[in-house]
Amino acid sequence: MARLEIRNLAKRYGDFYAVRDVSLSIEDGEFLVLLGPSGCGKTTTLRMVAGFIEPSAGEVRLGGQDVTLLPPWRRNAGMVFQSYALFPHLTVAQNVAFGLEMRKLARPDIERRVEEVLALVRLAGYGDRLPRQLSGGQQQRVALARALAIRPDVLLLDEPLSNLDAKLRQEVRVEIRELQKKLGLTTVMVTHDQEEALTMADRLVVMNEGSVRQVGNQRDLYERPADRFVAGFVGRSTFLDGTIEAPGRFTSDGGLRLACTDGAPGKATLALRPERVEIAAQPLSGLDNDLPGTVEFVSYLGAQIDIHVRLSPMDRLVVQIANREGGFAPEVGQQVHVGWPASAGLVFAQ
Amino acid sequence: MSLVVDRPRRGQGLTATALLAPSTIFIALCLLAPLAMLLRYSLNEFVPTRKMMVEAVTIANYVKFFTDPYYTAILATTVRIAVTVTAACLVLAFPLAYVVARTQSRFKNLLIMAIVLPLFVGNAVRAAGWMVVFGSKGFFNTTMMGLGLIDKPIEIMFTEKAVVIGIIAVNLPFMVLSLQSVIEGIDRSVEEAAYSLGAPPATMFRRVLWPLALPGILAGTILCFILAMNAYATPFLLGGPLFKMMAPLIYNEFTQKTNWPFGGAIAFILMAVTLALTVSANLIIQRRGAR
Repeated sequence: MARLEIRNLAKRYGDFYAVRDVSLSIEDGEFLVLLGPSGCGKTTTLRMVAGFIEPSAGEVRLGGQDVTLLPPWRRNAGMVFQSYALFPHLTVAQNVAFGLEMRKLARPDIERRVEEVLALVRLAGYGDRLPRQLSGGQQQRVALARALAIRPDVLLLDEPLSNLDAKLRQEVRVEIRELQKKLGLTTVMVTHDQEEALTMADRLVVMNEGSVRQVGNQRDLYERPADRFVAGFVGRSTFLDGTIEAPGRFTSDGGLRLACTDGAPGKATLALRPERVEIAAQPLSGLDNDLPGTVEFVSYLGAQIDIHVRLSPMDRLVVQIANREGGFAPEVGQQVHVGWPASAGLVFAQ
Repeated sequence: MSLVVDRPRRGQGLTATALLAPSTIFIALCLLAPLAMLLRYSLNEFVPTRKMMVEAVTIANYVKFFTDPYYTAILATTVRIAVTVTAACLVLAFPLAYVVARTQSRFKNLLIMAIVLPLFVGNAVRAAGWMVVFGSKGFFNTTMMGLGLIDKPIEIMFTEKAVVIGIIAVNLPFMVLSLQSVIEGIDRSVEEAAYSLGAPPATMFRRVLWPLALPGILAGTILCFILAMNAYATPFLLGGPLFKMMAPLIYNEFTQKTNWPFGGAIAFILMAVTLALTVSANLIIQRRGAR
């Protein structure tokens, strides 16, 4: 395992930058997740680390060695593909042994290592099967075993869970994370699924339109999103457009006067997390903001209920409440009050 | 593959029969019947003095072919040329098929059209075109001499070279299309997986691409080999009067010499040799691929 460093990496296709000026360091044993919507450049970045795409500019350093211009077969990066990319004509054991044969290991060593790695992913005894005889989850584990067998300097995971069904995905997340910790693997994973990213990562990188928007742990991204994009992409937010009149005073385009934390005067967006807003039938006391509104829409999600409240002709807020027995359960058309402390609102200058 | 098949309902069975019958009857009447007749003819006797076929049951025609070095040499030439052409087609077609299969270009369909386009021109017409190019005062030689690259015209026309080049040109599209369709079905990331595991391109090709493309390689080589073994117009027009391959020889026996029994025998020998070589080559390739 080794430290991975990416410096000012860029990939340009004509006038279009798929990735622009991305710099990241991934510590030895760290699990880093690149998170972003499709087309944000996360996969391109991963593929440049793997060596499948040649960067237009910048550097990739693996364990102190500059590998930017090395072809993939000389990088010692283990990769798990979205489609698993198992060799369909080879058995499970032959798939896992492939990388070891490339490294010219002796036959007995190869056999021992294959057995070890298959046991590690709980597939001992499946060595003689062909990939098509396995379930999706098993194939995914073979792909992981194949990448681990070569003892890679870095493990690269390209949306490894997206082809699994929802229930299995939750199990495999935990499994991969535990394995990664146990083996101390330096890992980079690409995903567009924020829940997946939040459960697995030590640190997350949010990307959009080819650039890094924010790097941080789960709490950083959720509590202190760097910009409006991150606030909307990690967790949910309701956005109210308006103006900062003076530090701490926000007026929405719909005319609501709200208390907020600081912010420079000018056009701004106020972001509110649905679960940080309180809702009640009567006026709320002790909160910086308390506004009357009308319930427009209720969506019942089981553990929680989302309530969409109209505050002004231009402002609508989503409030999330826990579904407790005997709890407040407003209905469409009902008059309610919503409120939140000034510190719950995140201000982004426009 | 599942062995459990739903029992078709009565109506479905009848419809299937109705749909399959015309093609089955066509094949039976137009392929099997003439073949049977030809087989019968090949066992007849031929009286050269009266240029007549006489009813008999004899293997004399087959014996004549295999005991006369003149004929066995023609068979050897035919096999040699078919093998050369097939190997050359495979080597030439693979890179082309790979590029066509993997390209993301929106001109992909145009590219495929360009590969198929030569098939729109009949073999005889194309061979005539090659004659213009290959002749001692043809396009190739005048250009090369005009450029001062050669002093004397290179003899291509009426040589084995011309025939090989001509048949390659005819067969190449078949090989490319066979390979392209199978390469398209191979997941690109399988190649990348091999690279990431440490396989350089040549190793990746040998261990991953080749075995996965094998069905297409087999289909392409079979098609190409059969077409080359049975080539008629190209060897006839480009090989000249002294150059002999099996198909022109058969034609000659039937029309010039009106020796139907011997012609029939040669036709069956050509068919048997083609079949035997194709089957055995496939068995060998498949066994090596399975390892």
